[in-house]
Amino acid sequence: MKLFRALIGVSVLSVSMIACGSGDETNTSTEAPTSEAPSSEAPSTEAPTAGVLNVPADYATIQEAVDAAAEGDLILIAPGTYNEAVQVTTNNIVIRGVDRNTVIMDGNFELDNGFRVVGASGVAIENMTAMNYTKNGFFWTGSTGYRGSYLTAWRNGDYGIYAFDSVGGLLENSYAAGSPDAGFYIGQCYPCDAVIRNVIAEHNGLGYSGTNSGGNLVIVNSVFRNNRAGIVPNSGSYELCYPQRKTTIVGNLVYSNNQPDTPAIDVALLAMGNGILSAGGVQNIIERNRVWNHNKTGIGLVPFLEEDANDAIPSKDAWGTDCATQKLQAPVVPDGPLLWDSQDTEVRGNVLEDNRRADIAVGSAGTNLWELGNCFEGNTFTTSAPLELETLAPCGSPLSETAGDWLAGDLNVITWLVDAETAPPSVDWKTANLPEMPQLEGMPDAATAPAVPASATPPTIDLAAITVPDKMD
Amino acid sequence: MTTPIRRATSALLVGSVFVVLATACAADPTNVREAEHDRSSMPVDPAAVMGAPDRPIAGPQGAVGQFVVECPYSHALPDDPIVYPGEPGASHMHVFFGNTGADANSTLQSLLLDGTTCEQALDTASYWAPALYHDDVMLIPEKSVAYYRAGLDVDPTKVVAFPAGMAMIAGEPMAVEPQPTSVVAWSCGNGAMRWETPPSCPSGRGLRLDVTFPDCWDGEHLDVPGHREHMRYSSTGECPSTHPVHVPQLIFSVAYSFSGDPTGLKLASGGVLSGHADFVNSWDQDKLEDEVTFCLHRDVVCGVTSGRVSG
Repeated sequence: MKLFRALIGVSVLSVSMIACGSGDETNTSTEAPTSEAPSSEAPSTEAPTAGVLNVPADYATIQEAVDAAAEGDLILIAPGTYNEAVQVTTNNIVIRGVDRNTVIMDGNFELDNGFRVVGASGVAIENMTAMNYTKNGFFWTGSTGYRGSYLTAWRNGDYGIYAFDSVGGLLENSYAAGSPDAGFYIGQCYPCDAVIRNVIAEHNGLGYSGTNSGGNLVIVNSVFRNNRAGIVPNSGSYELCYPQRKTTIVGNLVYSNNQPDTPAIDVALLAMGNGILSAGGVQNIIERNRVWNHNKTGIGLVPFLEEDANDAIPSKDAWGTDCATQKLQAPVVPDGPLLWDSQDTEVRGNVLEDNRRADIAVGSAGTNLWELGNCFEGNTFTTSAPLELETLAPCGSPLSETAGDWLAGDLNVITWLVDAETAPPSVDWKTANLPEMPQLEGMPDAATAPAVPASATPPTIDLAAITVPDKMD
Repeated sequence: MTTPIRRATSALLVGSVFVVLATACAADPTNVREAEHDRSSMPVDPAAVMGAPDRPIAGPQGAVGQFVVECPYSHALPDDPIVYPGEPGASHMHVFFGNTGADANSTLQSLLLDGTTCEQALDTASYWAPALYHDDVMLIPEKSVAYYRAGLDVDPTKVVAFPAGMAMIAGEPMAVEPQPTSVVAWSCGNGAMRWETPPSCPSGRGLRLDVTFPDCWDGEHLDVPGHREHMRYSSTGECPSTHPVHVPQLIFSVAYSFSGDPTGLKLASGGVLSGHADFVNSWDQDKLEDEVTFCLHRDVVCGVTSGRVSG
């Protein structure tokens, strides 16, 4: 375990260094460029005298402090274990632990969410740990503007860090392990206007999952390893805002996502052994990631079969419809199953090795691959499905049936349905083997840094400046 | 005797519901045993008295505020704590979810002390439905999903929590004709299609029985003889003046791993048309009220069904 802990230490350092390469700031409160401008939204950011509510010195519980807080206030939590499930409904407050590794929210396998931000906007949660919750460690729903920084989510029953039906988000410098669904999740939003950066997800069913999310949704400079599957955006009519579209995945380390002893939802069993897997997503961009050691694909674009449908698949001309508009449209329940094809996705400049079914791959369940519009260019790889994929599907020009043999080395993705049934079964999240909880770098100057509520405009990421990250170990 | 709402949310409720659920005080019109004796005075189709939702409630989750509780199967007993209190073995076979101790002798007091199978540990309510048999072999359900929402087109800020100890039944156990699919339906997995009889479901997206409970309460009775008259379904977003209190609309879904040919399926209450379900509110009342306030009043999606297999 010591070795592991040392590795974590190293890995966090290198992740932080990556971050420094794409931006000069080191402090969350100055990183979001918009946080200084919209003073009308968060007047307290310019007034360091804004209220500070100390737990437990001023308020015995976090919930009491949250309930007493006014917009712009900072709730500062002292080291200790807090057996609370905190509801947040006040806009523009900041909830911060003084020490990431010793301010611990513990659900004791009975409480549902460490924090649940319910329809409140601008709520930032910083610098603490949440574990043993039956649902989620940190959860925003129905929020406009949300931020999670320096958070550790460990052994929670659904998701680690979870944003649903929320827009304008930033999840950064955080860690999630031991969830049967995803460590990190952003779902049901378009456009999402959200950034995930400098996070680590391991030993989850899925490292990242995002159902029906996208539109200025950026996942960068992060590590997804030792999950059942790594980064898995998907479409489905069981929730709103389909299809999943326009997620940008750049500069991540994605490796060894074949972990057989994690808790796992059904989709995690289906996706097991893949690094970056688009399951029915469209218009995604996957660039300059380093992806290795997977039993199936390094980067795979595959269909998502939805046998219990709730609505018809939107036609391509409806892909621009925003989520709010789509919510008002009455669903049309189809008679049969849906097949969400991955389409119009660009896979460029990734470095892949030892992905044992194929380093890069595209599959369908009957649709001609050249009609899907996915392209592959400038990747460093050895194997592909179908064979000669970069020759068949170059970026920048329409794909052609006559470009070559599209069937040779077919991914045969239908067999994955069978594989899922024989995959190592889900392990109870309450007792699954997990790495020792890492001691991770906390927020600088947590005790004194001013409160900066979450901005609804996430930082602009200089994607062009991101290079393929080096391996850490 | 009537039970004002306020009493139902106070410490007094434990005592009052104890009466409702278990004692045999013959003078008490809310006594559920007397309710059974009153069966002859019930309408031919008691379910029809309550009305039905304006349309089946199905489709993608995430459009309206809701909270969701998944509860794995707990146990099966030929008991019915609402219809046959104090009479173990008097009922057809039921499958129970949530509260782990629910049986013919349950009281609100006992239910509040029991454990739960629900992943929401504060949901110690009891949910039950007739057991489903395939070629006379009882099928063990995988889990249940309880969806709590405002009724169709109902202003969610009007909804108040069920009072502690409230008991209700949805669907008609005696039905031999199809019931409205807006009240009782069969479906596959999380799909939106609704059938009057069990469909052939694909493997992995197993058969479900979906029962939608009434969402209007008379504001007085935790239960009544016949177990119907205190509840109504809203229509066009309104509750009738006789049942003016909007409560959450509970959609209770029993999920089986059974898929494929539905021939040979039957419910313990009769054929596959006799679908119904029962609910006794023995939630941690503070938590239930919180969920109504945070999720329904604010019209926020506090959760969706998970793909969690188990554990």
